[in-house]
Formats: sequence, structure tokens, C-alpha cells
Amino acid sequence: MSANGIITPSTLSPKDLPWQILWEKDKCSLCGRCTAVCPVHAIELGVHRQRLVQTPMGLDREPSNVYKIFYGIRQKTDPAYACVGCGMCTMVCPNECIMVHRNDEVDKLKYHIDRGGQPRRRGGRRNVVGGILDQIKFTRISMLTDPALDAGRHEFELRTLLGRILPPEENLRLQREQGWIPPVREIYPLMIGSMSFGALSPNMWEGLQMGVAYLNEELGMPVRMCTGEGGCPPRLLRSRFLKYTILQIASGYFGWDEIIHAIPEMKEDPCAVEIKYGQGAKPGDGGLLMWYKVNNLIAAIRGVPAGVSLPSPPTHQTKYSIEESVAKMIQSMYMAWGFRVPVYPKISGTSTALAVLNNLTRNPYAGALCIDGEDGGTGAAYNVSMNHMGYPIASNIRDCYLNLVKVGMQNEIPLIAAGGVGKQGNLAANAAALIMLGASAVQIGKYIMQAAAGCVGSESDRCNVCNVGLCPKGITSQDPRLYRRLDPEKVAERVVDVFLSFDTELRKILAPLGRSTSLPIGMSDAIGINDKAAAERLNISFVV
Amino acid sequence: MNQKNRPYQISGVENGHRIASRVLEEIIQSAVSSGHRDIEIEAFGQHGIGGRLWRAADEPLNISIVGSPGQRTGSMGFPNTRIEIQGPASDDVGWLNAGAEITIHGHATNGTANAMAQGKIYVAGNIGARGMTMTKYNPRFDPPELWVLGSVGDYFAEFMAGGIAVVCGHEGQNPENVLGYRPCVGMVAGKIFFRGPHGGFSQNDAKLVPIDDEDWDWLRENLKVFLERINQSKLHKKLAQRDQWQLLEARSPMERGFVARRSMEEFSQEVWDQELGKGGLIGDLTDLDRSPIPVITSGELRRYVPVWQNQAYIPPCEASCPTGIPVHERWRLIREGRVDEAVDMALAYTPFPATVCGYLCPNLCMQGCTRQWAGMTPVDVSSLGKASLKAKMPDLPPLSGKKIAVIGGGPGGLSVAWQLRQQGHEATVFDLEKKLGGKISSLIPRSRIPDEIVDAELTRARQALPHIHLQQKLEKEEVEKLKDDYDFVVIAVGAQKPRILPVPGKERMIPALKFLRQSKAGQAKVGKKVVVIGAGNVGCDAATEAHRLGAEDITLIDIQTPLSFGAEREAAEEIGAKFRWPCFTKEITQDGVELTSGELVPADTVIISIGDEPDVDFLPETVRIQNGFIEVNEVFQTTDPQIFAIGDAVKLGLLTDAIGAGRKAAQAISDILAGKRPRGDTRQIIDRSRIKLEYFDPRVQSFESVEHCATECSSCGSCRDCGVCITICPKGAISKKEDGENGLEMVVDASLCIGCGFCAAACPCGIWDLVENDPLGV
Repeated sequence: MSANGIITPSTLSPKDLPWQILWEKDKCSLCGRCTAVCPVHAIELGVHRQRLVQTPMGLDREPSNVYKIFYGIRQKTDPAYACVGCGMCTMVCPNECIMVHRNDEVDKLKYHIDRGGQPRRRGGRRNVVGGILDQIKFTRISMLTDPALDAGRHEFELRTLLGRILPPEENLRLQREQGWIPPVREIYPLMIGSMSFGALSPNMWEGLQMGVAYLNEELGMPVRMCTGEGGCPPRLLRSRFLKYTILQIASGYFGWDEIIHAIPEMKEDPCAVEIKYGQGAKPGDGGLLMWYKVNNLIAAIRGVPAGVSLPSPPTHQTKYSIEESVAKMIQSMYMAWGFRVPVYPKISGTSTALAVLNNLTRNPYAGALCIDGEDGGTGAAYNVSMNHMGYPIASNIRDCYLNLVKVGMQNEIPLIAAGGVGKQGNLAANAAALIMLGASAVQIGKYIMQAAAGCVGSESDRCNVCNVGLCPKGITSQDPRLYRRLDPEKVAERVVDVFLSFDTELRKILAPLGRSTSLPIGMSDAIGINDKAAAERLNISFVV
Repeated sequence: MNQKNRPYQISGVENGHRIASRVLEEIIQSAVSSGHRDIEIEAFGQHGIGGRLWRAADEPLNISIVGSPGQRTGSMGFPNTRIEIQGPASDDVGWLNAGAEITIHGHATNGTANAMAQGKIYVAGNIGARGMTMTKYNPRFDPPELWVLGSVGDYFAEFMAGGIAVVCGHEGQNPENVLGYRPCVGMVAGKIFFRGPHGGFSQNDAKLVPIDDEDWDWLRENLKVFLERINQSKLHKKLAQRDQWQLLEARSPMERGFVARRSMEEFSQEVWDQELGKGGLIGDLTDLDRSPIPVITSGELRRYVPVWQNQAYIPPCEASCPTGIPVHERWRLIREGRVDEAVDMALAYTPFPATVCGYLCPNLCMQGCTRQWAGMTPVDVSSLGKASLKAKMPDLPPLSGKKIAVIGGGPGGLSVAWQLRQQGHEATVFDLEKKLGGKISSLIPRSRIPDEIVDAELTRARQALPHIHLQQKLEKEEVEKLKDDYDFVVIAVGAQKPRILPVPGKERMIPALKFLRQSKAGQAKVGKKVVVIGAGNVGCDAATEAHRLGAEDITLIDIQTPLSFGAEREAAEEIGAKFRWPCFTKEITQDGVELTSGELVPADTVIISIGDEPDVDFLPETVRIQNGFIEVNEVFQTTDPQIFAIGDAVKLGLLTDAIGAGRKAAQAISDILAGKRPRGDTRQIIDRSRIKLEYFDPRVQSFESVEHCATECSSCGSCRDCGVCITICPKGAISKKEDGENGLEMVVDASLCIGCGFCAAACPCGIWDLVENDPLGV
């Protein structure tokens, strides 16, 4: 607030802000680390005038005023500099004297972050905690019936299939007739979902890829990662690691000419091609990578000149119907690698998912359907899209699976579930629940950012500044001063930790079910929920 | 055969029918109770034969089993019991064995020695899956032992928690792998000696260790016993070869959790970079250093950089002053003890520092003062203004030969002439009046400005301006002529043409300017009742003068809220003048002013002061007039590039506005004469939030001296050299550099600075700014 007390409608006090900085004067050494590290300049050194009125006991002398100056850490209240709650100040403070607290009521900043008529945009995901996945429990505990297995001792076949799986008689017939059999990959059911080189920093992206390569080559876990729409570094395209990579093509087609040019030099086929039609976090919305983020590196990988804004429209151009979009795109992408690489579409969770699925069942090439639910994350979206649009993944996947069961194709088109898997840290439980609801695999994005790189974002609207390139952990920034905070090898190590511990937890869930020979896809008799309506909707047991 | 030595016979078949396990157990227990210590049992698949025979107490008990024993032979066996199975055994031999010695003269199936805690099991052949699983070692007893001549089946030694297993690998079922598939999962204690190849084991739980001498001695001696029990002593020589044996031990809890795998660093170097090339994933696209850095960085890696922007912005006082006097600089000089220089400095900006700054100016600089903004008393500049009467004339530069004609010798005209002369150009001033000074000399009441002050400043101005032509009325042709004779002509004629209301009786109105001029000349007369139409500052002056001349009832009327302010308004209010509005004049009669409302405001004298217009009739056609005033651009140039115009002739304003316009026009003319594009001041006013008034006492309401004023000035935008930044910097990165030519400068050592912004936040004057560092890798 200005010193002479003039206020504007958007004049806020710290009480009005979502995050409040608590600072302890007695412990502070004024080292400057907190203000130096704050990504949004929410705090600054404050010059404070302190007044001491010295009135003598007995009033035998005249009272006097003494003024003193002291310095402290002060929070700015200008909405442009509002604290985002990342807590980096606390992290760098040598004396633990600064801390961030969430407002105890709905903040007033909400009503004022539309300056210039621009609604709020941010990164992160839906600012709504909870979700149905955490409520699903695994109720079929087979002690003597199946019998139970030992997660630590038994061997489990946890791999899943990606690609169009033909019915056995059809497969045999085609083998006999030497016809074309769609390519199918055996992969690990936990995939790293699409996050582009550009959305992520170079160090983060490399760390993820390195971790994935390690899991494959050192530990024999066929983990796959999708590039997102941002092309693929030329060296990766020409390396054997490409087989661990799913190349994404989206409406901007960035980097695809570079991929095409690399095809003659590829040592390996990519794992698959994902065609992005929608994203759970911002359904029906596209993206715009601002020109100032398109540095030389990103430009080279995307095959554009530097300093040009890159639009990814909400929809693919030149495709005007579902039949046309899906058929045309799937055909083209299969052709790129001589029909050796599975191709599948990814859509955002939607009440129209069944229409897409029905179309895919009639398309002999469709390799899978990936659905990204409302809890998916993003690097940049309108707050309104993120918080209020989309479809929950659980019922969307369930509807699709049951529909496949109805047409007898549940073993033919794998469903991949994404969007908020492990939202509250329960990765294996959420993944297992989705698998038992009918998913063949799950994709994670924000979870791996949190677990492998220390992303501090949360559903309490913490941090969430991925969109402005200020990521304090260097995960989503293109600024070397930020992304060099992240060591790719350390990220890779964490990726390995995450997958190994996930693997153990998944076994801990599957073992008591007595399932070790195949992933219990659609094994919904093993799950229940303490919510009658949800149980009915998902067609699973209601357990109380 | 000696009948006595023949073992006691028990058959598992009675009358051609198999006896139930429960019944056979009763028979055996009863035989032992009856004292039999040597028993041969013909088994027909009965469960658990040979265990639990504690009734023999410490006496040795031999159980020989022929036929087909069932599962768990010897389970819960006691230490006195020695069981010999003459053929192969079924599952779980020695299950939960608590001390029995069990010899199997054939193969044993799955679960051999499962959960065994004490005792020994000797197997003359191979065993099935999950042998030696869940075994224990109880420190009260010797550890359990399992000896296998051949190989073991899959999942051997799962959860093995103690005991010793020996796998001799002699003619095993699978000579390629004597330990079977995935042994030792969950093993936490115990040892496994084995001879022959293995196909891997749980690295997380077990490890291969060298066989030391003590172990070897134990193995060699006990191997003899084993081979004796299974009647294969002849194999001892073949099997007792130390180099053929290996030893697996459980990892200690401390060693657990450690999976021996390649480090990521090694993977990165030897696999990742090997496949992709040096620099990894994008090594071909960039040579940017991407190695890890700490969160707090300095130098090039700082995100933000402090910049010392001394005098880059205009302070609010200077910006508010139309004349553009840098008031803060004068306070600085005083702080430095250079009071005379502070006083003299004013003459660089105005020829009337005492008259205007000290008396007549409403002191816009003080109104703009940052302190005012924070509710604090602004630094008082008027005392400094008054002191300027004694300011020393600056040394005048030699003449350039360029000549400028200035028409009008008022504050604006004298300002432009004064400035031009200081720039080395010769200015010639033409004025209509007998006395220089325009409005100041002829209109403004003496109550507001003593004559001696004006005279002193005019005298000083005349010293610099020798070419002054008074009582010169110029006509159009003469102005055209001036254009030929001079390089530039500046019009500073003021607004002398009073605006009159077009109402009946308008001839009865006295224009305020005329009245004031007459008043000052001692020629004016007024009645008792005076009405002033137009309650602006000129109206107030007229009212005050009317009072001085004897008027008793003075009313100022206006059609809107009067715009008068400051000293003029105060003086008018002091003499009891009434202000009324809105009042619309319908007619002036000899009784007074009749309003459109019908009311008559009685007046003996009616003065009109609703503004004045310049007399522009003498101007050439090339000078465009807009709404009665001369049109100029931002540097006061008219549509005739050779003619400039300033002051009230352009727009009605304050004295300081005219003086400032004179300064700007003079600067523009000098620039043009020097062949440069005329430039204004491109600096912006400093953001007041950069100034930290917390350093000053908020209770100060008046100032004891100019020195006190100087101390309380926060020196907005100009470094006070207070040392706060040097002191507050947590890294000690800021130091002062004194440079003879440029004066003082604060410099930052980039290698120390972390970009915390403390300097910018603490600076009282708002000099430091924190800006984004130059982008890297763009």
C-alpha cells in the first residue's frame, strides 16, 4: 500500500494474499539468501522505523521520542509480486527464521489476478485435493483361496502390452497367410507421460531419459517415456535409447521434420507414436510457447528459428471429423516406420470418450487409447481450464473398459490412464486401482516431477509458476541459472528409485490377490469403495 | 540273526489296510514308552513319522523307515532321535526339527528342512524346491545342518534365518546349477557351502565370501560324517577339495538395502555419453555449461544484478518545478557545507530566484516533495529562495555572434534572454513598458513582493543583458525585419488583452490587469463596495489591492468553484473578501452586478478578471494562432521555425511556468544553433516508492535552518553518500570509488554479489535498482 494511504480496488494486505511470509527478527542474520532466491521477488529487505517513547518514571523529566531504524524481510503485497508459497526462502535460510503459511481463508488475490483483463494462467494442476482413486481399496485378499503370493519372494509378470492385439484365431490366420500383424510392445505399466523438451528444462528432460535408460538397461524394466510435443533431440533419435521413447505428435507438429530427417539414421524404432488430441489439464485448449522462451536449443529441436512464438492450436488442422482425424493420422504415423511402430491417440478425459473408443475399435490400426483425466498437470493453462474442465479418469476409463467388454474387445485395445495418478503420493495404489478398473497402463507427469526433481507444486496452489519460466527447482525453466540447480544424474537416480519402489508396492497389492502371471487388468472384483454412488457408477463393490 | 538285536517292528499296514497316521503315531509312542529304542517302521505314506519321541528321554533312539514315509518325516524331532529313511523321502522332511538326525538314502522332495531349528538332515541324493527355507538358529543349541549330496531345487534357502546347508553337487539333477533358480531370497542368517556352478542368487540378501581355514576344517571333518551316514565315504577324497567349494553367507542388516548396481555417474559416463556422445543428450546442439550450481550464486550466475542509477531519474521537486531547478542538488551542496554554491546555483536556472522562489512562487517543488507524499512536512525551499538575492552572477561565456531578439521583458522574456546569454548568445530585449519585469514590476501588488527585491534582481539581469529597448511597440513589418536581423525571435509578450463579458453595461467593468497596473502606479481609485468577477488568483490580487485602496465590502463572484489558491487566496480571505459561486452575470448597472438569478450584488466598482489573451496582431502570418494563443511545439517553437513563443502568450500560467518555458526555448535555440536536434529532458521522474523516508523523523514540522532542511531532504534519485548500501550488503560487495572527474560512484564486486537486492531496498535515495541479469544461452 502506498505510504499516504491511498488504496485502489486491488490494494491488498498480506492477510489478503494466499501465502504469507512469517519472519522472525530475532533469528535473522540478514544474509540476503531468501530475497536472492525468491523466484517472484515476493520478499524484499524492509527499512523499518521504530519509535520508542521514553517517559521517565515519576514524570520528573520531559518525556522524549527516540527513533531507531531496523531492517527486516518484508512481503510485497502488489499482486504482481504475490508470494507463490514455493518455500525456497525457508530452504535457503541458514537460521530457519522464514516460513511460508497458507492463508486460513479464501484469499483475496484470487479476485485481482486478472490485470489488464488477462485471466490467470499458471502451471500445475487442478487446485482440488482428493479424488476417487485414493478411496478405492483392494478388498480381495486371498490367503488360502488363490493362494496368496509373497510380494518379496515370488516373481511377478508386471509387463503390459501396447499395440493392437489381435484375437488368437485372427493372429494365427494372419501368421499362416503371412499378413500384416500389428506391432505390439511389452512395456512396464507405469509410463512417464508426455512432457516436452521446452516445457521441461534440458537437465530435467535428460535426467528423466537417463533414468528410463538405466531402468531398461541396468534393471531390465521396460519403462517408456513420451516426448510430449516438442520434438526429440537429434542424438536421442539416432541412439538405441529411442526404443524407450514414445514420440508424440500434436497439433503444432513441432520437431517432426527433424524426426523425419532422422528416420534413415535411426538404429532403433521408437516404442510407439502418441497422437495428442487433448490434454487433461486443459481440455480443448492449445498452447503457445512464447517467443522469448524459444531459445536456440529449443528452436533447433523443434525445427524452427529462435525467437518465434510457437502455437499449438487446440485442434489439429485439416481434420474435420473423428473418422477422418483418427484414420488419417493413425495411417500416416504407421507409415513413417513401415507399420512397425504402434500408434495410438491420446485424448483428454471427456464424456465423449466412448465415441472415440468406438471409432478405434473399428480401426484395425489403433494401437491403444490414452485418456488424460481432469487431474492431469500442465506447464501452462488458464486457471479456469485447469480447475473446472475435464472428466475424472476413473469413471472415464471404467466406461471405456466396460464398453470394450461389451463388444468383446477388452483384450485387444489397451487403455492407458493418465491424469492425477499418484496425486496425493499414492502412486502404486492409484495405478493398481486404474488397472483393475480396466487400464492396461498408467502415465505419470507431475508425480515424477515431484518425486524425481522435487517439484513443490501442490493442489493448494503452491508454486505453480511453471508457465513463466521461474521454476525454483529448475524443472520447467529454460534459464541455465535455474535449471543448473538440477543435476540430470540425480534426477535419473530418483527416477530409478521411484520405479523400483513402485514395483515393490504394486507387488504388495497384487500378491495378496494371488496374481503374478499377468497384470490384473479389469479385475474389478478385487476392488471396492466406501461410497455407494461411486460403487454403482464404477460397477465395483460397495464396502463398508 | 540275534533276535535280541533285531529292531522292534512296526508296520503301517494292518489286515491289508493302511493305518491312519494318528494310529501309527500312537503305536510308535507306545513302543518308545515300553522301552524300545531300536524301531523299524514299515511306512505307507503316514505323516510325520519319527518326531516327538521325547519319551525316550536321554537314551538314544534309532528309527529306521522302510517303505514310503509320508510328508514331514521327523517333524518336531528330538535330539535323542536318529531317523534313517532307507529310500526316498516325501515333502518337508525334518519340518520344525528340534534336534533329530535324519538320514535319507535317496532323494528328498520339496520343503526339505523347512523351518528346521536344530538337528541334522543328510540326503544321499537331490532335494526338491524350497529346501532349507525358514530355518533358524537358536543360540541355546547347535545350528541345524542340511547336507545334500547332489543338487537342490528352486527357491532354496528362502528366508533362511540360520543353520548351515552343504550342497555337494555330486551327480546333481542339474549339473549346470547346483543351487537351483533364485536361491536365498529373504535369507537373513546362516551359511551355504556349495560345490559346483550356480545360476545366481539374491544379491540383496546373500553374498559370496571366501572360505577361511576354520570353515574348511569344519567342512572337511563333517563331510566325513555325512558321507559315512550315507555310506559314501569313498567320495571324501573327491569332494574334499577346497578350491571346488564356495560359501554363501547372509548379508548383515547393515549391508542390506544396498543393491550392487552401477552408479548413475558411471552409467552417465559409460553408457549414456558413450551412446549419445560427449555432452549427452544435447551436446551437439549447445556448448552451454549445464553442470550443477548452487541455489545462491554470484557473478554471471546471479539472477538479478544491482545497478547504481545515480541521477538517472528526476526527483519530484525538480520535476514539479516548471523552471526545473534541481532543488535536491542545492540541499546536497548545503550538506557538504557549500552554502554559497547552493545559493549561486539558482542563477543558472532563473534570473529571479529571490523574487519568484522566495516570494511569488507557490513552490510547486514543495508540493511535489516526496515527504509530502508520506504525510511529512516538505523541505522548505523559500528561505533558500530569499537568500538567492545575494547570489553571485555566474561568469558569462564569450559571445558566439548569434543574435536573438526577445519581444517582451517580463519574467519569460528575461528568462530566455538570460539563458541565451549564459549559453554565449546575444539577446536583445524589446518591451512596451518603461520598466522591465512585465507582470512582476507592473501588476503584482507590493504587499506580495517588495520593490527592492525586484529591483535588485532586475539590476542583476541588466548586467548580463546590455541590449534592452524599452517602450518599443513593434508592428508586423518590424517583426519581419527582426527576422532578417536576428537568428531567432522569441515572443514573450504575455497576455495583456483582457477578456470582457459581453453583457449590457460591460463598459462599467475595469479589467483586473488595468486596475492592478494603475494601483501599482498609484493611480487607481475604488468605491466602498467592490465586486470582482472571476475569483482566480488575479481576482484575489485585485481584491487585496481594492482593500488597500479603501474598499470595505469586497465580493468575488465566479461561475464555478474558484480556482484561486495559495498566498493570493489567503490574502484575499484575510481582508474579508467574500467568495460566491456559482454566479452568472446578466448585466452591470450603476448599482452593481445583476445576476441571472435576478439578484443584485451591489457595487461601486466592478473589476473583471476572467482571464486575458495575448495581443497577437503584430505577428507575421507564418505564426499560427489557436484560440487566441500562439501555437507552439514541445520546445516552444511556433509554426514559423525562426520564431519561438513562451509564457502567457502561449498558455496562461505561473511566473515559474514562463521562466521555465524561457529556459527550454533557450536550450532549443542553442541546440539548433549548434546544429543539433533540440532535446528536452529525457529523464523520467523517479518512482517515489524507491525513496525510504523511514530514515527521517516523521514528527518534524518546521525546519530550524537551511542545514536542517538539507539533512531532512532524502535526495531522491541522487546519491547522498550515506554508506547504507555499503553497510547493508551481506556480502560486502559494494564499495565507493572516488573519481576526480565523475565524482563518487558506488561499485559492485560481481564475484561477491548474490543479487539479494538489499542495497536497492535499503537506499534512502532510491539510487539502486535490481534488474534481471542478461539472459544466458539465448
